Amino acid sequence: MDNQKPIPVKTQDNSPYWDGADRHELILQKCNSCQEYSHPPGPSCAKCGGTELSWESQGSEISGKVYSYIISYRPFLPGFQDDLPLIIAIVEIDKLPNVRLIGNVLQCSTDDIRIGLPVKMIWKELTEERSLPQWIQV
Amino acid sequence: MVSIKDRYAIVGVGESERSKNSGTTPLHMALDAARAALNDAGLEAKDIDGFMSYSEHDSCSSHQLATYLGVRPKYVKDIMGGGSSTEMLIADAVGLIETGQVNTVLIYRSMNGRSGVRMGGGGWDVNMLQNAFEGGSFIIPYGAGSPSQWFGLFATRHMHETGLTQEHLGHVCTSFYEHAQRNPKAYFYGKPLTMEEYKKTPYLSFPFNKHDFCMESDEANAIIVTSAERAKNGKSKPVYIMGISARQCVSHAHYWNNLDEVAADYVAPEVYKMAGVGPEDIHVASIYDCYSWVVLRQLEAYGFAPRGEVGNFVAEGNLRMGGKLPSNTAGGMLSEGYTHGMNNVLEIVRQVRHEYKGTDRQVENCEIGICTGWAGPDIAGAMILRN
Repeated sequence: MDNQKPIPVKTQDNSPYWDGADRHELILQKCNSCQEYSHPPGPSCAKCGGTELSWESQGSEISGKVYSYIISYRPFLPGFQDDLPLIIAIVEIDKLPNVRLIGNVLQCSTDDIRIGLPVKMIWKELTEERSLPQWIQV
Repeated sequence: MVSIKDRYAIVGVGESERSKNSGTTPLHMALDAARAALNDAGLEAKDIDGFMSYSEHDSCSSHQLATYLGVRPKYVKDIMGGGSSTEMLIADAVGLIETGQVNTVLIYRSMNGRSGVRMGGGGWDVNMLQNAFEGGSFIIPYGAGSPSQWFGLFATRHMHETGLTQEHLGHVCTSFYEHAQRNPKAYFYGKPLTMEEYKKTPYLSFPFNKHDFCMESDEANAIIVTSAERAKNGKSKPVYIMGISARQCVSHAHYWNNLDEVAADYVAPEVYKMAGVGPEDIHVASIYDCYSWVVLRQLEAYGFAPRGEVGNFVAEGNLRMGGKLPSNTAGGMLSEGYTHGMNNVLEIVRQVRHEYKGTDRQVENCEIGICTGWAGPDIAGAMILRN
């Protein structure tokens, strides 16, 4: 556990996502009008403005590929000073290629990180109650 | 739609002192910049009946600025915004003048961007940030609190798809640093950058090293806009607005995961159509450069080189003096200073006016210039100006 790091703030628009993360499950917001996933979630659909939204569980076996990444050699926020170099990536979900999630690729050397790298979702416990979705190499 | 081409003009530009630590307030700097622009235009404060500014809650208000210039204008307006807000506010000013509400508008950006609130981050409360940014709780817990990281995610993918290399980023940096050597007011005046040195510099946030970042500074800039008719009788040489356009696109302002489109892709055809010119007619450019890569993506968007050939375009020296498109000729935000784009607009006005005539800083035969604003893939604005 790492109490120095920022903990995702739950809001009226995003709490099903983070409640799911706390249960080690990926829950995505979906628009009933255009049938598109809306991530990050919001008060209405960011693609069509639709107001009929539902939440859909993707389960806990989530695989994807690195779509893009950066490597930070400086902590731009408190709590990350011991995690350098820090890899921040956009990951494309294999099952849902239109959904791309931003997260860290953990335990990955700067030589290994590349676009297309296969990864899978894991959950890092931030506190006893809260968990954060993350990625590791497959 | 009424054509506004050539019917409005920028008649004055000015700036405060530029530093890393102004030791003063944004209001003081805004007053300095406004007085410099008024002096440049040959106008008095009472001639300005509209004041506008943009900020990220780090400036003074237009009301304050007008008050301490001793005037009571008809119209004051302050918006939240950064890159491309200069172009958008100039468009607003044109609309207000066109509808007869005001005659002459002063637009400014004032910020202690170095010693005060830094866009690049630092010292922020992390829970505040999660709420301040749209989708903030999906980036801040991952350590992604700096624009360099958000822009970097775009850059890595775009470079991968188009074959751009770190050396191409280096050509942007070394070209602009070279311009700064002719501008005694530039932050990196007297500090040239060679490609060898650029490539030796360690990454701060891959794919960027410190030279790929803009030079955050404390300063204020101001611009005065009026009708072409009023401009005719003024003291300064008017620079006419041929076209101006803006666009919002991409669903989230900070959580960028759709890399296929940027707002500039939509602005480019609109601004060229309005101005009645194409990229081949542009002699000088100010291209928003919060990070080096942003310049490369905009060269593509604005049609200066096709996708896949932008790297060669900059490697051939086309951004330098004597190249096809001398750009950011005061050094740009990478090496002159940073006022969220406005300093680049000041420079394009001065180039198109031929203010540097007789010196090696003047782009030869430059009659038409473009300035492009870019807040991210989500917001862009651009303006084409002529002598």
